[in-house]
Amino acid sequence: MDFLLESLLASLDLILAMDREVYLTVWTSLYVSLVAIVFAALMGVPAGLAIGLGRFRGRRLVITLLNTLMALPTVVVGLVVYGFLSRQGPLGHMGLLFTPIAMVVGQIILATPIVAHYTLGAMSASDQRILPTALTLGASPTQGALQLLLEIRFGVMAAVVAGFGRVIAEVGVAMMLGGNIRSYTRTMTTAIALETSKGEFAFALALGIFLMSVALLVNLFLNLLQQR
Amino acid sequence: MTPILSLKNIEKRYNDHLALQVEALEFAPHRIYSLVGPNGCGKSTLLQILALLLKPTHGELFFDGHPVSWTNRDLQRLRKQITLVHQSPYLFDSSVKHNLAYGLKLRGIRGDEQHRRIHEALDLVGLSGFARRRARELSGGEQQRVALARALLLEPRILLLDEPTSNMDKASIEAFDDLLPTLLEKDMTIIQATHSPDQPKRLGSQILPMAFGRLVSPP
Repeated sequence: MDFLLESLLASLDLILAMDREVYLTVWTSLYVSLVAIVFAALMGVPAGLAIGLGRFRGRRLVITLLNTLMALPTVVVGLVVYGFLSRQGPLGHMGLLFTPIAMVVGQIILATPIVAHYTLGAMSASDQRILPTALTLGASPTQGALQLLLEIRFGVMAAVVAGFGRVIAEVGVAMMLGGNIRSYTRTMTTAIALETSKGEFAFALALGIFLMSVALLVNLFLNLLQQR
Repeated sequence: MTPILSLKNIEKRYNDHLALQVEALEFAPHRIYSLVGPNGCGKSTLLQILALLLKPTHGELFFDGHPVSWTNRDLQRLRKQITLVHQSPYLFDSSVKHNLAYGLKLRGIRGDEQHRRIHEALDLVGLSGFARRRARELSGGEQQRVALARALLLEPRILLLDEPTSNMDKASIEAFDDLLPTLLEKDMTIIQATHSPDQPKRLGSQILPMAFGRLVSPP
């Protein structure tokens, strides 16, 4: 018990002392995940909207596939992207492996199905009169879809926040594609795994506190949006 | 005179269920038509087809004597001349003003002209001073009148109304009955679906009785 208490106090010391290493790691995590979620939103929201509005053959199959992609193991995504970016891989010449860009790519793959799925969910739960109303007032199908998006904005924001929650807490992609390089690709999750194995429990705990704070904030925000 | 809208052998089916079957029907411009009949007789389905929101399974619809092609380009051009006010209208989650401005913006009408039309339309439906109110916080009858104002200010050639007075109180219904004939002078043709037994006659409208998805006595 003493060990846990001492570690907790030491971790709080690190946080209050604005330890450079801790804050740099937090910053890398936030930066990579925020960039990833922006791209995931740009792809996932229109994809969810298109699947929701479309009445095409194989739609159910697409939805099933989307649901499956939501449960993608992070290490599998890391493995596949690694295969593409490694020196022998088709994109190896770009030299992206073990860079923040590689981590962003992996996290985009993880977050996009989540954003698309929740956007689709928000659409399914939305009022069926929105689109006909926009159309009868003179909107084109695209303008109608944009109005629909505006009407379900809180659901779409919740979708983006849920996607962010997934990527900020993942470890597989960050570890396999980032390589946990100090002051470069080291994120909160990879640092926690590494520092704990090195016996630097207080350092790992400090990052754990940050990670939990982010998770708490994300969930508070998500709850707030779901109540709208 | 060329009918503004005409239907020829129109059918709408949902799987095996025949929801609407109209062999021939013409709507002359600048008149009021009332579709009357019990629930589920096909009034709303017919209005949605006329509003170009629902494609019939079979048959042809003509606008100004020209067949509707149901292509996106054709639909968007024609929908700017036809507006449907639903029985339970959907108001966007914003202010009354924003709701009224929506269709005007799509037509490129902004600034003073937009402002003038919004306030005129609100006056017309007895909701002056409601522009800044949140649309969703209004009563059912007020929401129905906002939806009517949102359609009127677009000055459509064809105004389609699905049970327009179902949520209105007596005074609002009387005001509505006074308003409707005045719209004919604004080059509108009005087609409404109604349950009211007296109102169609009061308005001097042509009555089109419907039952089981068919016109009972075609004009």
